[in-house]
Amino acid sequence: MKVNPELIDEIKKYGAFDISACFNCGNCTAVCPLSKEDSSFPRKLIRAGHVGMEDKISSAIEPWHCYYCGECSATCPREAQPGEYMMALRRYLIAKYDITGLSKIFYKNGWLQTWLALGMLAAFYWLYSSYTGDFGALAGKIELAFPVYVTIALGGYVLNMYRYAIVKPLGGIKASLKPAHIYETLVHGFTQKNFNGCEETDWTRWIAHLLVMSGYVLTLLISNLHLLSPLDKHYGAFGPVSLLVWYAGLAILVGGGIMSLRRMFKSAESSKFSHPSDWLFVVTMFLIGASLLFTHYLNVAYGPQDPLLAKVYRLNIAIETVWILLIVPFTKWIHIFFRPLAVYFQHVKKEAEAGTAFTLNIGAAK
Amino acid sequence: MDEKITEASSKDNYRQEPKVGVYVCHCGGNISDIIDVKAVAAALAKYPGVTVAREYAFMCSSNGQDLIAEDIKNLGINRTVVAACSPSLHELTFRNVLQRAGVNPYLHEHINIREQASWVHKLDHAGATAKAIRLAQAGVEKVKRKDPLNAIRVAAEPRVAVIGGGVAGMRAALSAAGKGLEAVIIEKGPGLGGKLLGLGKMYPSGEEGPAIAGKLEALVRADKKITVHTGADIDFVGGFVGNFKINFKNADGTSAQVKAGAIIMATGYQHYKPAQGEFGYGEDANVVTLPEFISLMKNSPAGRLEYSGKEIKSLALIHCVGSRQVEGVHKPQADGKINDYCSRTCCSSALYAANQVKDKYPGVRIYDVYRDIRTYGMQHEEYYDKASKDGVLFLRHNETDQPVVTSDRTGHTVKVKDVLTWGEELEVKADLVVLVTGMMPADISLIRSQMKMPIGADRFLQEVHLKLRPVEMANSGIFIAGTAQYPMDVPEVMAAAGTAAAKAAILLAEPDIPLEPFVAVVDEHKCTGCGLCPAECSYDGALMMAEKNGKKVAVVNPALCKGCGACVAVCPVRAINVAGWTLDQFDAMVEAIAKE
Repeated sequence: MKVNPELIDEIKKYGAFDISACFNCGNCTAVCPLSKEDSSFPRKLIRAGHVGMEDKISSAIEPWHCYYCGECSATCPREAQPGEYMMALRRYLIAKYDITGLSKIFYKNGWLQTWLALGMLAAFYWLYSSYTGDFGALAGKIELAFPVYVTIALGGYVLNMYRYAIVKPLGGIKASLKPAHIYETLVHGFTQKNFNGCEETDWTRWIAHLLVMSGYVLTLLISNLHLLSPLDKHYGAFGPVSLLVWYAGLAILVGGGIMSLRRMFKSAESSKFSHPSDWLFVVTMFLIGASLLFTHYLNVAYGPQDPLLAKVYRLNIAIETVWILLIVPFTKWIHIFFRPLAVYFQHVKKEAEAGTAFTLNIGAAK
Repeated sequence: MDEKITEASSKDNYRQEPKVGVYVCHCGGNISDIIDVKAVAAALAKYPGVTVAREYAFMCSSNGQDLIAEDIKNLGINRTVVAACSPSLHELTFRNVLQRAGVNPYLHEHINIREQASWVHKLDHAGATAKAIRLAQAGVEKVKRKDPLNAIRVAAEPRVAVIGGGVAGMRAALSAAGKGLEAVIIEKGPGLGGKLLGLGKMYPSGEEGPAIAGKLEALVRADKKITVHTGADIDFVGGFVGNFKINFKNADGTSAQVKAGAIIMATGYQHYKPAQGEFGYGEDANVVTLPEFISLMKNSPAGRLEYSGKEIKSLALIHCVGSRQVEGVHKPQADGKINDYCSRTCCSSALYAANQVKDKYPGVRIYDVYRDIRTYGMQHEEYYDKASKDGVLFLRHNETDQPVVTSDRTGHTVKVKDVLTWGEELEVKADLVVLVTGMMPADISLIRSQMKMPIGADRFLQEVHLKLRPVEMANSGIFIAGTAQYPMDVPEVMAAAGTAAAKAAILLAEPDIPLEPFVAVVDEHKCTGCGLCPAECSYDGALMMAEKNGKKVAVVNPALCKGCGACVAVCPVRAINVAGWTLDQFDAMVEAIAKE
């Protein structure tokens, strides 16, 4: 194999600035609670990066197993930050899977995405404020358009991930049809089980992560199913929808708040290094929760005709619009789908090695 | 006997009736826990010729020593046997007790009942006790037959000859001169400075090699106690401690001789020269050695690393060329042996050079192909740290999978079976391949064979004991400074050269040198002049046949004799004995041990 020294320089643009200091001792792999015999990391992936094994890096699913507990970075005798390297690889892979190429531009250009988000927020708020028709009806349509957009974006990603992780390295379309594997994938998706595989469970981080995730999924359901029409209906404080909104909003605020504090005080290995997109992600999430809560509070307290409610609701929808259009498809938000998929692809790879994988032969068989 | 060698006379105890004192040591419990020391002392007290026998907790303590001195004073003891630890530990202690009490120090016998009895027979107390008694009795028999001996004193030239005028030679001469000795540097090359003259920036200070050499040379030239001969071609080295003679030809063809009491070998090293075709060396122009690369770097214009007019954008360093060679993998050297030693300094030098490249030409890609990185010196690991952080890519092969260099019009390709990349064969493209060559000893075969200097398996000069006597050779009066001994960097050479000079200064501190009296002594009446013994002697000139009083006899030079006893073993008429270890003494010891 020809050594390609450019690759590591490329990966370094996504973070992992210290990774050249690695001297391949393997301590990181030894302490990693999630590294297993059939998927061993981070050492091998670091080496693959150093010598420029591009195929190995782009087909890697190991970065999606890693939850960045930071054991490796704390143990690394060279302070090469292997945990941060895995983070950088996740960004690199997102950019790789992204067909639009926008993720790549955003990741490499620091605060560009943030400025763009602020600009878009202002533009949409202005647009929504100047809309003279029935904004409640428009918001309903916008919210129903979100899942379509997200599904398309996500579909592109997932197909590309499948192409890089399975089709290219295994030379064909392969799948695992074992119910146990499919079930496990779903379990991982809902519980983020691997999070607790990290040896010394960082409970605060896990709770924050779970709060944000559940709050966020609820918010998604609320908006995408258009459960809320705050400009048209007056909600009681303890109705079923209200309870969902209270929970979703508070979960995001508390979880997002904890995450921001940790990033600010760099209290754990995983929050020592922050990419601008990490801040954008956390802050926007926080704003979504806050505006949702505030909207609902105004509705419950003062009814749908409240003049402040009209403004806050427009802001809420504007934030969601920017979130859906700009942030969801082009940052690590997307990883909530990659993690369970990685668990599934791992099974596919293993079955392919054992020759038991379901194989779809297109054209001439090999 | 040479007129320079004398035996100092001292009061002797020749004609006195032997009065033996026996002292049994407990050595804490080391001996007395196993051996019944009281029984040993009691048995020895009754032994013929023994005047007094005592036991004590620590004979080597000042109380123990006083016990012996008192007996000498009060009981007229004139020979002692101490049954205790190993003689290498405390024999000298008790010799000194005798000397202080006015008895010839060589009338002492040290019997080892710790290593030879209590420690090895822990489960057999009675047996160990019986053995200790026999050993002590043999000691009594031996000491009764001992003659007083006196240290041999050799008049010495108050001068040290330093062979080699590189950094080691200059430092050694300066240190010796600083201690008041005359020093003579005999250098083969046209000037002082040696290998430093060809090197560039040197770790750790970053000074240029020639600059360091220049500083030392200025000091040497200014020192009135140092004489320098350059362009000197040595054709003879002979003599012995205190009286060495070195003959050489000056550059103008005239002959000269230096007489010296001690010699410091500062003959240095030579760079390993790769064999024709080794990693493409000698066949491809862009394969160079590290020393060649260092001068190439010196001559490159600023901002552009250049070799024969072309810009170098990538380079591959291959470590361990000519060092740590493996039997069956590497071609042997001219003498049929491989260089299996580590040259020590090359890892640090290579990384230091790589860091200079990265500092001066940050765009140059560097691949470092190695087996092990051994940056052993103080803070040398920082060179590795810096190199790896600056993006030098390290590729590691194992000893049997040597890297392969191939060339075509686009440049060089180095193939490495990289153990860090799970054995994957990796290929790197490089504009220049730098072979990190090690050190081999300089060719000093003439001096070495004339003085019978020992060398190690690596062909470097060998010291007596790496830890205990690190700069002394087995040849008395010859010391080693620097890379003549093994590969060293400049700070280590400086330390070694200073040490060698200090050792030489101690040796030559007095006008004559005391030597141990345990040398071969020939009984000229018994000697038949058969001539068997000189053939057995390993030390040139120590034993020769000569005419004496009209008779051909063996003659010993006590300054050269090491007392090994090889001549004693071949003499058919028992005419030779080693003083202090005579055949009669051994006979008596054997009889005492083996008696019913």
